[in-house]
Amino acid sequence: MLLNRSVSIFLRGRKALVNETLVKDYNRFLNNVSLARKLPAIREMVDIQQKSSQTMISFAAGMPSFEMSPFQEATFKLKDGSSLTMDETSIKKLTPYTSSQGLPELVELLEKLQIEEHNPPTCRISCNGEGREMDLVVTTGNQDGLCRLDPHGCNVLGVDSDQEGMKPSHLREILSRWNPSDVSKPRQEVPDIPRILYLNPNGGNPTGAGLTMERKKEIYEIARNYNLLIIEDDPNYYVQFTRPRVPSFLSLDEDGRVIRLDSFSKVLSAAGLRLGFVTGPKLLLQRLVLHTVAGVLHSSSLPQILAFQLLNQWGFEGFRNYADEVSQFYLKKRNMLLAAAGKWLTGLAEWTVPNGGLFLWIKILGIDDTHKMITDKAIEKQVLLVPGNAFFQDSGKKSSYVRASFSDQTWEEMDEGMRRLAELIKEELKGKKED
Amino acid sequence: MNYSRFLNAVSLARRPSPIRELTEILQRSPPTMISLASGMPNTEMFPFQEATFKLMDGTSLTVDKTLMKKALQYSATQGLPDLIEWLKKLQVAEHNPPTYNCHGEDKEMDLLVTTGSQDGLCKTFEMLINPGDSILMESPTYPGTLAVVKPLGCNILDVDSDGDGMKPGHLREILSRWNPSDVSKPREEVPDIPRILCLIPNGGNPTGAGLTMERRKEIYEIARKYNLLIIEDDPYYYLQFSKPRLPSLLSLDEDGRVIRSDSFSKILSSGLRLGFITGPKKLLERVKLHMQASILHTSSLSQILAIKLLDQWGLDGFRNHVDEVSQFYLERRNILLAAAEKWLTGLAEWNNPRGGMFLWMKLLGIDDTYKMIKERAMEKEVLFVPGRDFFSDSTKKSSYVRAAFSLSTPEQMDEGMRRLAELIKDELQAEKDG
Repeated sequence: MLLNRSVSIFLRGRKALVNETLVKDYNRFLNNVSLARKLPAIREMVDIQQKSSQTMISFAAGMPSFEMSPFQEATFKLKDGSSLTMDETSIKKLTPYTSSQGLPELVELLEKLQIEEHNPPTCRISCNGEGREMDLVVTTGNQDGLCRLDPHGCNVLGVDSDQEGMKPSHLREILSRWNPSDVSKPRQEVPDIPRILYLNPNGGNPTGAGLTMERKKEIYEIARNYNLLIIEDDPNYYVQFTRPRVPSFLSLDEDGRVIRLDSFSKVLSAAGLRLGFVTGPKLLLQRLVLHTVAGVLHSSSLPQILAFQLLNQWGFEGFRNYADEVSQFYLKKRNMLLAAAGKWLTGLAEWTVPNGGLFLWIKILGIDDTHKMITDKAIEKQVLLVPGNAFFQDSGKKSSYVRASFSDQTWEEMDEGMRRLAELIKEELKGKKED
Repeated sequence: MNYSRFLNAVSLARRPSPIRELTEILQRSPPTMISLASGMPNTEMFPFQEATFKLMDGTSLTVDKTLMKKALQYSATQGLPDLIEWLKKLQVAEHNPPTYNCHGEDKEMDLLVTTGSQDGLCKTFEMLINPGDSILMESPTYPGTLAVVKPLGCNILDVDSDGDGMKPGHLREILSRWNPSDVSKPREEVPDIPRILCLIPNGGNPTGAGLTMERRKEIYEIARKYNLLIIEDDPYYYLQFSKPRLPSLLSLDEDGRVIRSDSFSKILSSGLRLGFITGPKKLLERVKLHMQASILHTSSLSQILAIKLLDQWGLDGFRNHVDEVSQFYLERRNILLAAAEKWLTGLAEWNNPRGGMFLWMKLLGIDDTYKMIKERAMEKEVLFVPGRDFFSDSTKKSSYVRAAFSLSTPEQMDEGMRRLAELIKDELQAEKDG
């Protein structure tokens, strides 16, 4: 009882291995559509084929012929002057369908990356064969991974946040409506008890907030208490500005309750490629694969092959160096925008300093509906930002906020942009006075 | 046509993403507009700069710095404008859809680039199906569609088919349960009336069947009578063996009731994941909203590769290529048919495939090919897909197997059919003994 905090959390972690906090029943979290999904037999045949010897003759899979493919070879020039070649063997991988889980060599490489970076408790020997064993699926972008979690007709409970991210105290307050013992009751008895917690821990969109380690541990404990799944939506993990990087929820996940979404969009600057990956408990990820089988079949092989070759060429060192370069770049951009905002908006607006990502969340003083202000006047004033109401569950609610991105704008554009925004605000305030 | 009759609650609840809408404002603005709106990653930080693709015919495709930036950046939900334009031209040249010129109307022809034709289909079904809805489908059919439709709680009404595709007679018989006047009643009054008809008109999977022109017209009329949407799943359109190609249902679509799914998987590359859907604007709008919430858009790099290639080919070059491809599969089909005749006469029956890449064989005297394959195929070293999974009731035993003729060499086909003959004889013997 008198043990200090970090030790008690360590002990609790160790205990979890034999404790009730381990997620045992994943079906509790699955909706009806997901539960009804089955693996088509064709995939079963492909499995048999893969286990067979070379002398097996297969007429099973309807794969198009290599002979009819127009592509022979490809060469990609990289920014650093080096080249990446997709030779005949690599390019041949474009012709057939590949595994719904992702190109096997890319999945393997990404699993290694996750272990290096997060050392998830769920990938240790003790979890082998269990439902919570760490698994990984390649998706068509982070957002696709999120969508396949299918939260339709959902009742969204908004949890307050500040510049350090989601507030554990408010989370506790909301959950106090239910008893922790309610979580073991059947769904029908407590239909409205939340089972999912979703958050954006780094460079939060739109706030730029960064969840502190202390808060992460608190939130993890609360999730344990109420048997919640944690959806860790983390496209800006590698674009955190502080060093060392704040560890992820995945790295704390003894119980197997975290589904982590990673993206290549910001760190490889390859948003258009549409490439992301999901890491989480095997039992849940296999349901995701089933939806993939019914939908895109698998993410485009071309970006997967490209990503694999690039990451393989770089190794983890190279990847980390590159990620650092990227976050340095966005840090510079952040500082430029902060300078421009400081120059033009002091007294007109307020903001906190983003800890990562690409966004500045600005509160405009004296304006209670930025949506109107922007959609009416922005085109005329020639400055575009995203009105705050887009970021709340109830988009009808008025908001004083706007979100400004700092990415591909030059200093001149940021300076001029903030100046135009300042004018826009002044005119709007004047207009209101005259009303 | 009243399209809201077909949309499910999830689809109706979808709203445009405000950020994507701002991207559209941006596209309409002059260059002096300064945007701090969308979180587009900076192009300076892209590791890839340029690419060259060597083609089999000796020519090259170059993706230069400017184009590469486009390839790596977020782009429009519905697809890259250049590619959409090219594909629309193709649709007009190939199908001349009656809905193309219906400017401003709900049924006006629209087109979306999808991450494979399956993705387009999946999103289409996810837009239309409520639990408990009925859907009319050919029997047997592609398990991929069953995998989408069944978990949505759909009631599948199997329509018989043969070598000429779906049988209009049986379709009429199934629909005679309802009165055509029922279609104008509100959904709650007739909750089980089917509103969707799905079929694979060419190179049917698994049957290789080809829907005849007469049947296409008949089926369209029946769909009219009962106000059905027709989902035309047509990945083997360009793999039809007889020329000229049979016109699609899209080409007959006066009413705007056809959603057509095309694929590049059999003619260009499966791995790229590139397909497109064509259909009434009012419905495709909803699919677009779903895309905004999921993949955002089909991989830009895949799209750029496609448009570079298609531009280089032009419509003529494209047609030549697909003719080459269908010739290739026709030759393969003939080799497999010869091997089947040689080894399986008296042991199995089949129809000659009209297109695609599959031979659908009934093994005589065997009533459960799934069992046979699971138990003996590894040992006999020959693999087929058991017929069971192509039926909506996958517990029902089937005497059929599906054989693909896309990848095997002539030697493998001959040997494969010989092994199948042995497999059948072994199984028949075992049943006699057992």
